[in-house]
Amino acid sequence: MNVLLTLSIAATLALFFGVLRLKNLATPVIVIGLLASLVFNAMEWNNTTSIFNDMMLYNNFTVAFASVGLFITLILVLFYSELSAKHEFHLPEILAIMLFGTVGGIVLLSFRNMVMLFLGIEILSLSYYVLAGIRKQNVYSNEASLKYFLMGAFSSGFLLMGIALIYGVTASLNLNEIAGYVNNAKGIVPPYFLVGVLLILSALLFKVAAAPFHFWTPDVYDGAPTLITALMSSVGKLYSFGAFVLLFNSCFIPLIADWEVILWIAALLSMSVGNITALYQKSVKRMLAYSSIAHAGYMLLALVGINNLTSGSVLFYALAYALASVVSFVVLYIVRDKKGSYDIASFNGLAQKNRMLAVVFTISMLSLTGIPLTAGFFGKFYIFNSALQSGYYWLTAFAVINSFIGAYYYLKPVVAMFASKSDEEITMPALSNSLLILLGILIILIGALPGFISGVI
Amino acid sequence: MNSDLSSYFPIALQFILAAGFVGLTMFVTHVVGPNLRTRKKLKPFESGINPSGNARQPFAIKYFLTAILFVLFDVEVIFLYPWAINYRELGVYGILTMVIFLGLLLSGFFYIIRKGALDWDQ
Repeated sequence: MNVLLTLSIAATLALFFGVLRLKNLATPVIVIGLLASLVFNAMEWNNTTSIFNDMMLYNNFTVAFASVGLFITLILVLFYSELSAKHEFHLPEILAIMLFGTVGGIVLLSFRNMVMLFLGIEILSLSYYVLAGIRKQNVYSNEASLKYFLMGAFSSGFLLMGIALIYGVTASLNLNEIAGYVNNAKGIVPPYFLVGVLLILSALLFKVAAAPFHFWTPDVYDGAPTLITALMSSVGKLYSFGAFVLLFNSCFIPLIADWEVILWIAALLSMSVGNITALYQKSVKRMLAYSSIAHAGYMLLALVGINNLTSGSVLFYALAYALASVVSFVVLYIVRDKKGSYDIASFNGLAQKNRMLAVVFTISMLSLTGIPLTAGFFGKFYIFNSALQSGYYWLTAFAVINSFIGAYYYLKPVVAMFASKSDEEITMPALSNSLLILLGILIILIGALPGFISGVI
Repeated sequence: MNSDLSSYFPIALQFILAAGFVGLTMFVTHVVGPNLRTRKKLKPFESGINPSGNARQPFAIKYFLTAILFVLFDVEVIFLYPWAINYRELGVYGILTMVIFLGLLLSGFFYIIRKGALDWDQ
């Protein structure tokens, strides 16, 4: 609860500093708010608290997921305020909306009531609709925002319909009571309960950008400002997957026979659609958007055979993916700022001009591919391990083949960086430079010592 | 716990009645009423003013912003009525709650003014 309060107050203060000619104070307030909420969040460890008559429950699962989310948001806020501040008239608002989105995300990680699930998804999505369209003069940004909003509104409708059907059967919105009903029913529930599960499933698949509900992803990720895309693809995915695991783990496991088929088809489709379409992309931003669909597919693999390894492996994968995706989008932002295009050709000769950028970008690409000694490798390792434990051998084999396809397109910009020549200088502001180095080191460190994170939950 | 579909029968009945009423009245008015179509009668009703031009044209965002903000503050005012009616029963607790509520509302209003959202000339 302290975390939510701190975030909301910091965001509101930043808004008012923005209009009171104290704009310079807005970023420090946001950063302090995020740091304070990281501390408050850590203090909740092993200290399970129920909030608002079982509406929410703050437990270790929440703390682990939320600390990753808060950390990545902090990093992105720092990047945004240094790299993008000169273009930005509305910086306090943008940072404040990022924080409001985080509030929604943390609600999603701690809900114990269907109403809070809906509320969390709405707070998170509304922030992202606005952030996607924050460049008011840019048509692509407008398109992204409008598309995301229309599709998101439909998926919220699906979610509500699903919640209504489940309420109709169980006469409760509380997760514990729904779980009690499902356990008592011993696998035989009315068909409209299953329809409800299916509707909720499709809404959540939409939110995590998994096929066949992925059609908004490329356009939205492509049109939104690059650093906002980094936010949506890293923490947005983390929160949505957290909600996914939380809901299915606590309520629907006895009905696994009814929904696992849908889930593995979604995982299969996401992996193949994401990877194969990414092969054909010329723009690195679009390629990363498709790769994010593929990564949603890998993460669904852990949910297909849901077991006690699921939440740990999803957390690890989400952390590894978030780190790599933040690095790659930030480098892309810098390159595009210099060269004016998202094409792979913009990366030509980067290694010659700014070795640090090239090395960090290579590390992030290797991590997305899943090469050993990077965080991405152990992310995939834990996910596949979790799927194998539940006996999904051929699905895991398929995912491994897909990782090999991924290697081809992830290495395209890397090859461009090292193989070609260029004569344009690229300089980096000091803070972003050190943050990128920090992230690069973190990716390798987590890859070398995965035990620190994997044993947490 | 009765979770049969049959417990939803009254709702279904309600739906059927509502749809039936709409269908019936539309059917009856078309059949019974005199069917006189003139140009003036088929024109969209614009409070007596002759409609002109295309309705699907862009207009300044200022109108939209003002309208949305009006709705926001108009709806908030509704919360004052129940408070006014129960003023004595709620006592000091009620006053404090409403001061917080109105304080938040006013700070929002302040934000809008400073942001220039109501600046018509910009």
